[in-house]
Amino acid sequence: MRQGSRLAPYLYVLPLTALLGFVFGYPLVRIFEFSFKMVRGIDGPWIGLRNFELVLNQPLFWESVRHNLQLLLAVPFMVLGSLLIAVVLHERVTGWKLYRAVLFLPYILAVPIIAVVMKKIFQFNGPVNDLLRGLGLDFLALDWIGSSDVALWTVMILIIWRESALGIILFLARLLSLDESLVESAKLDGANWWQRLVYVVVPQMKVVIEFYLVVSVITILSSVFSYVYMIGGGRGGPGTSTTVVELYIFNALIRTSLPGIASAVSVLLFLVSLLLIVPLFLVRRRANEEAVG
Amino acid sequence: MANNNTVGFSRRALLESSAGLGAGVALAGTLRGRAARAETPTLNMWWWGEQELPGLQGFVDDSVKSYNAAAVKPMLQDTAVVISQFQTAAAAGQAPDIQFLWNGIYHMESVWLGYLRPLEGLVRDATIKASNPTLLSRFDGKTYRLGWYALPMIWIYNKDSYDKAGLNADSPPATWDELLAACEKLKGKGIAPVGGGIQDGYWGEWFFGHALAQNTDTAGEAIDLFTGERDFTDPKYHEHWVRLEDLKKNGFLNDEMSSTELYPGIDLIVAGKVATGLSIGARMPADSKATNDRIGAMVMPVYGKGKLAGKPIMDSQGLGLPTKTANVEAAAAFLEHLQSPEQLQALHEKTGWIPANTNFDTSVITDPAVRAMWQSWTTGENVPYLSNVVPGQFYEQALLPTAQQVVQGKMTGEQAGELAAKVAKEWRDFNPDIVDNYKKWATDLAG
Repeated sequence: MRQGSRLAPYLYVLPLTALLGFVFGYPLVRIFEFSFKMVRGIDGPWIGLRNFELVLNQPLFWESVRHNLQLLLAVPFMVLGSLLIAVVLHERVTGWKLYRAVLFLPYILAVPIIAVVMKKIFQFNGPVNDLLRGLGLDFLALDWIGSSDVALWTVMILIIWRESALGIILFLARLLSLDESLVESAKLDGANWWQRLVYVVVPQMKVVIEFYLVVSVITILSSVFSYVYMIGGGRGGPGTSTTVVELYIFNALIRTSLPGIASAVSVLLFLVSLLLIVPLFLVRRRANEEAVG
Repeated sequence: MANNNTVGFSRRALLESSAGLGAGVALAGTLRGRAARAETPTLNMWWWGEQELPGLQGFVDDSVKSYNAAAVKPMLQDTAVVISQFQTAAAAGQAPDIQFLWNGIYHMESVWLGYLRPLEGLVRDATIKASNPTLLSRFDGKTYRLGWYALPMIWIYNKDSYDKAGLNADSPPATWDELLAACEKLKGKGIAPVGGGIQDGYWGEWFFGHALAQNTDTAGEAIDLFTGERDFTDPKYHEHWVRLEDLKKNGFLNDEMSSTELYPGIDLIVAGKVATGLSIGARMPADSKATNDRIGAMVMPVYGKGKLAGKPIMDSQGLGLPTKTANVEAAAAFLEHLQSPEQLQALHEKTGWIPANTNFDTSVITDPAVRAMWQSWTTGENVPYLSNVVPGQFYEQALLPTAQQVVQGKMTGEQAGELAAKVAKEWRDFNPDIVDNYKKWATDLAG
């Protein structure tokens, strides 16, 4: 084979690789660079690991991490809830297409729109509490967005409600493409609904469930900014009760003029995300190889 | 092939034509640009304010159109990026010619970074003084902002609510004890005595700005709390949070305060659901009109012994001149233009609000409540708004959260002081390069 033909494939992918490198690689390099600098404006002196030392010794940073971890509790509810609803819809209950549209609606609405409505609904003297009080359930009429003890749970409810919509659609799409003959066979063998679900349906949905699980974990770790920004009054409040790592980065960068600190936390978040996601993909690849082998 | 040469363009002809056309356009543009530059300079103006003062956009548009000495290109900035957008542009040498500036630390950091010019020598001293940029615009003997529109920081009360409680609506509480006595009566009538909305945190900033003044003698003393010269754990410097805690414990704050945002909270006062709270002067015309002049303005009732206690707080929004810009004289001339009597009048007509200039003819203010407030706030001594000296990190991590926690009953005033001291220390650790400037600033403002 000639030299030129060996190089040809690389030359074909070079433009796109260069573009990706510029769009994603350059900012990443700069963020790593800034994390070791005391940046004022657009640059600053090297200060070694000082930014990391300051961040890792600050209680607010760890509180933000704790809030992200607490929000991860939403993931099982999102996965199981989506799966259950998708299965019920797949049973083609009367009006299932309408239900499907209604359930997916939150996902196509922007988070700020939903959050503004939610804030109105969950105000201390808002419709939810009015309803609860009307039903004589005063003890449940909490200060949903005004109490430090409750606000993060309110954010979690909103995340579960909206993000589950994606799961429902993904799972329903997979269910609609399943091999029905396997389900029928199981039925003929006497398997009940639950057994068919657990032993026949779910194993065939393993790939899409894993995918949704990974996407949900990434969402909770690095894409809940708009939720806490809106529900937490733009500040991660009340107090610092809904501050998450993303908001910490935003505040450091925009509100406290500390790009070096923002970069250091971004680097930490990036590395933690890698630590969580890479093993998941490795396990997935091994499973695929075993299946093929 | 012959057909191509006779009917269409050859590739060479197309390229030649395109090149010729491009060169022609570029040359024309250059010549026109040079001609334009020779006639009138072009000024970029980044501004903010429509968000809090509807009508300001119209005023800016009209001012720019009617100004012939330069072509001014205004750009309304988003609230979240007013500072960061300017600082990034200034660092890159791409700053606008005129920049909107909030008061105090919100522009002083840019001064220390070398992004702003002092106005002395560019704008007439008389204009600077008349615009009331306030003490917090000064550093090292120089002024870095020209006032644009006034921003009195006020307490307001609903006169109808006070009437219902048997209180004298023409004589609001002047001392803290009088306030507590009024609160008892209001509460007895089922009216939430004090409050508003703190869900977005800003109420805490306003309260701090009013209340820290109670036990301080100068703005420099407030700055000392961040440099470490003074300490929030000293009872006199967290007494304001203790007083807030008392209001909470006595049930004097409205029960939906924690889940209500700042401006909807002020609406509660206008609606008569809350009797007393915090506001800004710019809201007075609309609120007074909505209640048929039943909203009154007052100074925070006094409990402290500081020299700033009991005095009206006057702030202003302003404009400044960045460094490293080509048309600084033209930009300064435009700032002077905005302070001309015609422009002051135009700003008032477009916004219904009062420009920051002592030469403005206030006889045009027809609303008695607004007139009374304006006279109270400007005829006597007024003091700067101390929340404007708070570093951003302290603002985010202590100032807003502590007030929210105290209002919820999750934190005592003393604990708020401890948290504030801890965050002030963290701020010094995170910003060692700024602390010295803060110390210098404190010295400047100590007089």
